[in-house]
Amino acid sequence: MVGANTLRLYLTCIRNTLDAAMCLQNFPCQEVERHNKPEVELKTSPELLLNPVLICRNEAEKCLIETSINSLRISLKVKQADELENILTKKFLRFLSMRAEAFQVLRRKPVQGYDISFLITNYHCEEMQKHKLIDFIVQFMEDIDKEISELKMSVNTRGRLVATEFLKQFI
Amino acid sequence: MACLERASPALKEILLKLYRANKSIEIDHHLYEFGSVEYHIQSSASDEHHMYLSISTPLLSQEVLLPYGISHHTKQMITAICSDVVEIIEPAKEGYQLTLRLDFSKLPSGKDTLKVIAEISAVQAIILSSRLKEMLMNVDSHDTFQGMYKPIKLVYRPSEPFFIVRQPQKFIAVFPIHFKDKPDVIIATTFFQELMDVGSSEKWAKAPPCCWSPIPPPELRGELFEDLSTTGGFVSFEISSWHVKGKKLDKTVWSLLNFYAYVKFHVKSTRSFIQRRMRKRLEGLVELLHKRNIKEVEVEEEEEEQSRKIQANAGCKCMIRISNLPKPTVLKRRYNAFSRTIKRIRSRIKIQGFGRFRRRWLKMPKFSSSMGYTKLE
Repeated sequence: MVGANTLRLYLTCIRNTLDAAMCLQNFPCQEVERHNKPEVELKTSPELLLNPVLICRNEAEKCLIETSINSLRISLKVKQADELENILTKKFLRFLSMRAEAFQVLRRKPVQGYDISFLITNYHCEEMQKHKLIDFIVQFMEDIDKEISELKMSVNTRGRLVATEFLKQFI
Repeated sequence: MACLERASPALKEILLKLYRANKSIEIDHHLYEFGSVEYHIQSSASDEHHMYLSISTPLLSQEVLLPYGISHHTKQMITAICSDVVEIIEPAKEGYQLTLRLDFSKLPSGKDTLKVIAEISAVQAIILSSRLKEMLMNVDSHDTFQGMYKPIKLVYRPSEPFFIVRQPQKFIAVFPIHFKDKPDVIIATTFFQELMDVGSSEKWAKAPPCCWSPIPPPELRGELFEDLSTTGGFVSFEISSWHVKGKKLDKTVWSLLNFYAYVKFHVKSTRSFIQRRMRKRLEGLVELLHKRNIKEVEVEEEEEEQSRKIQANAGCKCMIRISNLPKPTVLKRRYNAFSRTIKRIRSRIKIQGFGRFRRRWLKMPKFSSSMGYTKLE
């Protein structure tokens, strides 16, 4: 119950921060003429960057939101309680990152120290609408947690069934 | 699961093919399984009724000396498959431990045919199992080294050795587990923990106690370093006399010989299960992102279609009732009608043929001035 409450608070905090941070506008590159690049990635003009916000649920679960004038980067660290959760999380997030084109807003490589990163530009906001993107990010976080727990449970259940079948041979 | 079956699938297929051909076929096949088991199948067109099957299997252990050939008990077991069909040729073909002469014309009809062919394909399993059985029976239980019972290293499949330690009331089978990938190690470890949990429950009290440890068990002290360095730890089973009584001996021996294959198969299928599940989940997540956009597109398309229908019906008497249309559409239509009226009021009056009249009679003369300029192209 406490865990569910903290998760709700964590997600609400992320939602509110994203809502405030996702005020993006078209802004051409100041360094290269006729170029339009996500400033949060280039970080060439400090005046175009906002202070990054780090939201932590605990040591293992955190979310970094970096904002600039025309883009926003969200990096997530997903909890990994044991080795099995660790490999499942890595496998799943790597699987998603390799298919980043399906999501449009997913970064192929996560920011160092995080498991998965999203890059949202002003164009994404225009195409997909801000509130929908925020909904998606929050839902994605909920789903990842749920999926990892379910996968872990399934692997354990499979292991138990296979072990039972193996021991049956001796009886 | 082919690797866990006693019958060799490839050999079974060839034998079935030969049986179904109903005539002698010229065949000279060499089959290799797991890199160490070899089959040689020979059939000539001249000898209609007979074909020859030669089998070579590796020695299970270099330490325990057993006769290279086949023991009398094993031979009895092989001929017991179907004495009319199977005949052991002695001496066996050079390079092989056993040669069988098969006479398929004497095969029993019906379902028994397949059964006999499957049993012939499983001869290698019989040889191997009986070897392990003999080994377990012949090992001297007093063969100790510094108060410890000396383990016997068995190699059923290359690079997958396991150890058998004979003790007064039981024997312990120890499996060093090797996996290259870390995910495989973790999946296997999870399985071993479940195996320990299940084995320790009351329901499975009769099953052999199982133990997994990341470090080598004390029974393997003194063994080669390369055999004791593993990635997945050591799994040991305590096999008591109850597990080797009568028919159980065969099952126990086969389960131990195939424990590696069993674990590998579980790891492989779990990996594919995870992959399938991730693929399914990916679809769900992508749908989540695009679901609402799709809905919007659908609404827009519906609106467009409705407006197209309205335009098509504009000249007809069968008008769509305004009350049936959604409110924004009604408002849009009213606005369009109003703007059309305004345009009509403000537009110039058109008189047919007036343009021609203006061009002919109301033509303004062209003035050319010397001070004027010509626009440069």
